[in-house]
Order: sequence, then C-alpha cells, then structure tokens
Amino acid sequence: MEKTINIILSGLGGQGILFMTRALAQAALDKGFNVMGAETHGMAQRGGSVVSHLRLGEVKSSLVRTGTAHFLLSLEENEGYRNLPFLSHGARMYVNTNSRHFPREEAKGLLDKRKIIYRSIPAGIMAQELGAPRSSNLALLGYFSAFDEGPINYKDLKTTIHKISPKRFKDINLKILEAGYKKGKEAKK
Amino acid sequence: MVKQEILLGNGAIALGLLEAGCQMVTSYPGTPSSEILPEVVRFVKSEKLDTYVEWSTNEKVALDTAFAASITGKRAACCMKQVGLNVAADSLMSAAYIGTVGGLVIISCDDPGPHSSQTEQDTRFMARLAKVPVLDPSDPQEAREMVGLAMDISEEFRIPVILRPAIRVSHARQNISFGPIKKNKKQASFEKNPQRWAATPRFRLVLHGELNKKLTEIGKKFENLSRYNFHNLESGKQYPLGIIAGGIPYSVIRDFLSEEKRIDIPVLKIGTPYPFPESLAIAFMSACERVLVIEETDTLIEYLLRDRNKVMGRLSGHVPSEGELVPQVIHKLINNALKELNLELLQSDDDQEAAQLVKDLELPVRRPTLCPGCPERAAFFAIRKTRPKAIFTSDIGCYTLGLNLGAVDTVLDMGAAITMASGFYHSFAQDAVEQPIVATIGDSTFFHSGTTGLLNAVYNSARFVLVILDNQTTAMTGMQPTPALGIRADGSEGKAIPLERIVAGCGVDFIEVVDPYDIKKTTSLLKKAVKYVKDPGGGIAVIIARHPCVIAYPDRAIPQKKKVIITDDCVECNFCLDRFECPALYHDTELGRVNINREICVDCGVCIQVCPKGAIVEA
Repeated sequence: MEKTINIILSGLGGQGILFMTRALAQAALDKGFNVMGAETHGMAQRGGSVVSHLRLGEVKSSLVRTGTAHFLLSLEENEGYRNLPFLSHGARMYVNTNSRHFPREEAKGLLDKRKIIYRSIPAGIMAQELGAPRSSNLALLGYFSAFDEGPINYKDLKTTIHKISPKRFKDINLKILEAGYKKGKEAKK
Repeated sequence: MVKQEILLGNGAIALGLLEAGCQMVTSYPGTPSSEILPEVVRFVKSEKLDTYVEWSTNEKVALDTAFAASITGKRAACCMKQVGLNVAADSLMSAAYIGTVGGLVIISCDDPGPHSSQTEQDTRFMARLAKVPVLDPSDPQEAREMVGLAMDISEEFRIPVILRPAIRVSHARQNISFGPIKKNKKQASFEKNPQRWAATPRFRLVLHGELNKKLTEIGKKFENLSRYNFHNLESGKQYPLGIIAGGIPYSVIRDFLSEEKRIDIPVLKIGTPYPFPESLAIAFMSACERVLVIEETDTLIEYLLRDRNKVMGRLSGHVPSEGELVPQVIHKLINNALKELNLELLQSDDDQEAAQLVKDLELPVRRPTLCPGCPERAAFFAIRKTRPKAIFTSDIGCYTLGLNLGAVDTVLDMGAAITMASGFYHSFAQDAVEQPIVATIGDSTFFHSGTTGLLNAVYNSARFVLVILDNQTTAMTGMQPTPALGIRADGSEGKAIPLERIVAGCGVDFIEVVDPYDIKKTTSLLKKAVKYVKDPGGGIAVIIARHPCVIAYPDRAIPQKKKVIITDDCVECNFCLDRFECPALYHDTELGRVNINREICVDCGVCIQVCPKGAIVEA
C-alpha cells in the first residue's frame, strides 16, 4: 500500500478553492490515485475562511488530521497561517501573497523547527495583470507544479485544466497556469 | 461501459437513487443537501431516463409529493437538509403509519459543526421519533449503495426509510465507477383503500400496530446485515477496550487503526442505527471490558446500549456533546480512553505548538459577508438609514449576513421574518407603544414559508414594513431557480408566478417594487411605506427590492460597470466600512484613507451613493 498524500487548500470564499481542489483531484485520478476530499459549501463560501481537504490513497475518511498534511496551498496569507496546524514535519506550503515580509517573523521559528518549506507568489497581482483578477487559483497551481514536489506535475495540470475549464475560460486559464509555472521555475533556479 | 468520475457524496447519492430505479425525486435546497437534485438531473439527461424531478416550494411539499408517487407503486425520493425535515415532520410522522407501496426514501443531510445550519440536530432521532428505519453512511460510495438498500427495504416492508448522510459524506469527493443505468418502467396505479390512505384515528391504532410489527421484522434483518453492521472481534478473545461507531466517525477511526495496525482495538460498525441491531451490540460488548461510543451528532446508539456501566461516551463525559467530531478530536478522545485504561496510545504528532502560534498571530476573523455588488447590501443600507431604531426581523439565506450591516436583529427559522414581525408588533401594540419594525425575507424563503405568515399578519391587523429581497434565485444554496422565474429543476419551462400577485393575494394593499441599487429611490419608498404603516387606514407595507444576484447573473446585475476611485476628500470616518461593509472597501493605513481591493471589486458603483463626504466617485 502506497503512503497516503494529504493536501490542504485554503483561502477565502469566492477565491476559487473548489475549482483548485477539483483540478488537483481530477489530475490525481487520471494518474491512477484513489481520491477522497472534503469541501466547504454554503454560508462560509460568502467570503469566509474556506478549507478543502484532499487525500490521495487508500483512505476512507475525507478529512486530514492536524499534523499530517504534506502540502498546503493557500490563496491568502492569513488563511495559510490559520491552517499551519494541519502541516506535518517537513511539509511544504505555497502561499499567494504580495507581502515582501512573508512569512511573518513570528511564524518562522515554528516553520524552521518543523522543517516546513515555504514559498510565496503574488498570484493575485499576476492574475490581475493577465486580465483575470479572479484567477489567482490557477497561478498558484502552476507555481506549485513547477517544483515537482507533489504527485502532480505541470503537464498533468495542463491536461486537466484543458479538460475541466469552461470553453470561454480555457485559454485564459491555461495562460495563467503557465505564468504561475514559469514564476516557479524562475524561483527554483 | 464503466466510467469513473470524482463525485460529491451528493452526486454518489444521486447515482444511487437512479440505479435503484427511482422514478421521482423532489427536493428543497439546503446545505448540505442541495447538490443531490442537480446531480440527479445531470444523470437523468446523460442516461436518457425519464425520472420526474422538481424543486418543491418546501420540504413538506417535497415529501408529500414523493409519498403520493410511492403509493402509486413507483419508487420515489425526497432530499433536504436536517432542519428541512422539521418542516416535513408532519408528513413524515403520518407517512410512517400509513406506509408505502413502492419505495420511498427520505434523504436528510446532517450538519455537525454546524457549518451552515441553525442547529446540530441528529436526523437519526427524527427517524426514531417517527419509527422509520435510518441508514447512516460513512463515505460517498457507501451512501450510494445504501440508497439502493433503503429503497429495497422501503418497498419490501412498505415503510418510508431515511438515509442520513452527514455533511462530510454529502460534501466529500470520491472517485466512483459506474455503468449504464436502466430505466424503471413501473406504471402508476392507485388502489382505493380509504382505511389506509385516509385513516381515521380508529384505523390509525391498527396502522400503528402494523408499523411496530414492520420494525421488529426490519430489526431482525438488520441483525444479519453484515455488509453495514459488523465487527472484527476474534472469537473467544476478550478485549480491554472496543469502539462502537457509525457514519463519518467510523471512517476516521478505521483509518487511524489501520494506519497503526491496532488490531487490539476491535470496532463495531453500525450502519443501521434504527432499528438497532441489538444482539450484535450485546455480543460485541460482552467481549469488551469497556466500550467507547463515537457517533455523530447525538447519543442514539448510546441510548440504545443496555449496559451503561461499560460505556464511555457523551453521557459519561468522554465525548464532546457539541461540535463536529473532526479527526484530531476523535484521535484525542481515543487516546484519552486508552490512557484512562492504561493501554498503549495511538501515535501523535503533537500540534499544540502550531495551534498556539495561530492564536498568537491574532489572525483576523474572517466572517462571511455579502458579496461585492450584492443588491441585498444596498437594500440593508437604505433600511438602516431610513429606520435606524426599528427592530429588524430577518430570515434564512445569504441576507442573514445583513447582520454585519446592523440591519438584522433576529433569525429563527424559515419564514420567521414575517411571523416574528407580527409577534413584535402585537407585543408592543398591547402596551400602546409604536415600535418601528422592518422585516426582510428573500424571494425563495418567501415562497418556502412566507405566505402563511403574511396571510396571518394581514388577517390579524399587524403593522410593519416587509422588504422582500428579490435577487431572483436561491443564492445561498447554489442558485436554484424560484417559482417566480418559471424555470424548473431540469431547465424546462414552468409557469412563472410573480411575487406581486402572491403578496396581493395575501391581502396586502401596499406593494411597491424598487431596484435597491438606487439607494435614494429605495429610501424614499421606505419612507412612504413607513407612513402607510402608521396611517390609521394603512396596514402592512410590502416593498419588493428587485435586483439580480451578482453571482447568478453577473452580466444582468451590473449592465454598466462603474469604475470607482476614492479621492483625497476621504476623512477616514470609516462610515462606508461600518455601514456599507463591502469587502472590496478597506482602510489603507499607508495611504491614510479608504481604498478599493480591485481583486474583488465588481464595479457596481453603488458605494458612490454611500460616502457622506462624496469621496467615492466614478473614475
């Protein structure tokens, strides 16, 4: 039995977390993973804190336990911190923020102690510059895929985004995904 | 050909319904049940079935309608959230006595947490109260299978059966394989039998006896239903601790124990909590010195276990009695029990440090807010401005969030904006106090349970202003159509019923329609309404604040975009932030004024009318 991979996706309602979850889940399924996930619907979607859980492997429960997530993708910096308790030792976090002071000084100690690797991208600004201010989710996904640390790479995501995007958003979605990917490639150098 | 899709639990339930040959599905939307019917529609279209679907006006209507289908011999289902079952309770209690002919499955989705509900109530208790069987799935795939079982039991024993998926089943996503679905060609027939279908109390006693017999038989069946009720005891072995669980907690526990290969802790899984498989439970308990019971949301299983001395659960204080049992909570309470009994603990990566850090960071609390551009925000702003001293009764939907604008004082249940306004009016009028009251209710909520309250208020001479927030959709639950639109659940055309006609039919003489984006006009209309309410010859004044929802109809809602900027006239009074509370407006400490978050601003331009200094202008 392969080890289960636990992913947390966070942000605020309306930022497109459900789409981001769907894209990762579909890409994982197409790679042969069993997929189990949990989503937030209803009132919290109106701008409140939103968290999605995604688990790849032979599991029955859809929720990730605190201290066991391998990846955290956050569309908002504070929501990223809020979900730190989910992260396991050596986990990786990718955060959408414009702040040059990421991560906050107070958080560094814990992140280093738990050997959590953190990276940030101004996904919101990038999406806005490309003419789709609500698509920071795709820039973050592309960025995540550039490091190739998870089970899903850029090629997988490109195929999935192509498949699941509504027709009129297909081109712009792929463009923003690519921009995020390139940003990640640069950062990796 | 077998396909594989990642389905929501609600999608898996929809699939299960159609695989079970369900010929009618009715529903009223409510989190976490709302996606079942749209998924039924999707499969009906792709599989070319002829299943009848409808968004009913409320849950009672949905249940009555499906009940009728089931006594024609067809298989039917209705779907709702747990508090929706309260609305349908009258129907449920009676249907249990009368019984069915074809299958009738009631899907009532629970919301431990609660994430998007008024209460954390446990549908399994409602099943016990009504004396109908209830099945408790622990993941989407099991929910899909259990729908079929529920339908079979319902038809075999002629009894309604409830499926209770909790939110983590309904809103879980799982890859599900499925093949083609066959059409059920069962024809409707109705055999007259007034002693059953229209039973008077004398016959009800007979029916109650029949119901009790059915439950005994179903109970026997559940004892041997090893697919859903099972344990992993080794025969002859005694254990210091066992766990009894059902639903989502079972899935969580199974994952924990199998990850750590803890075969020393046996688990009894209960998939059919009522009628309770008691012999199975007795056998399990006799092999365990102590038993930890972990169930959501209340204490049904715990109540049904006879040997209380062995039980560690909610009644003994071992399990919290409110809130969702998320994995870290379950992990901790298993370890607490193991510790108490001096047994080996589950491994734990202590996360207290991270939790403490999150506290220390003092992160802003992100309360839900109305969307940027939401027409209800404009309406609430005008209401608060016109009647600052009023009691604001409101209702269930996105617009409950009007409380952020100080324009919502009460929320009880569906329709209570109107009925409570009545109650407030009469309470103050009795003391000869003229208390201003403004009630707000959404269009879909008004259709659901507004009319009876409005009829009552008019008939009993109450006086208040009622604003129907008509955004032409059921927004909170995912944009389902309302009867005013004339669009049905499958997208086909229905008869559109304008709100104005219903309001007039309730006996209201003051009915005005306004676009709330025009705050000035809305304000002056509110003033006119207030005058009417106070006038000796007046009464209840109804204003329909009509503007399309920005999420459902982004183009229609903002036909002309107005790019807004903030000038240096801003004096940081924060009036716009406090009273208008648009998430796209924020206080920019660096600039020393209010600023606009372009990432979320939708250019509706409504805030231009809000600033007392005229510092918000069109670019």
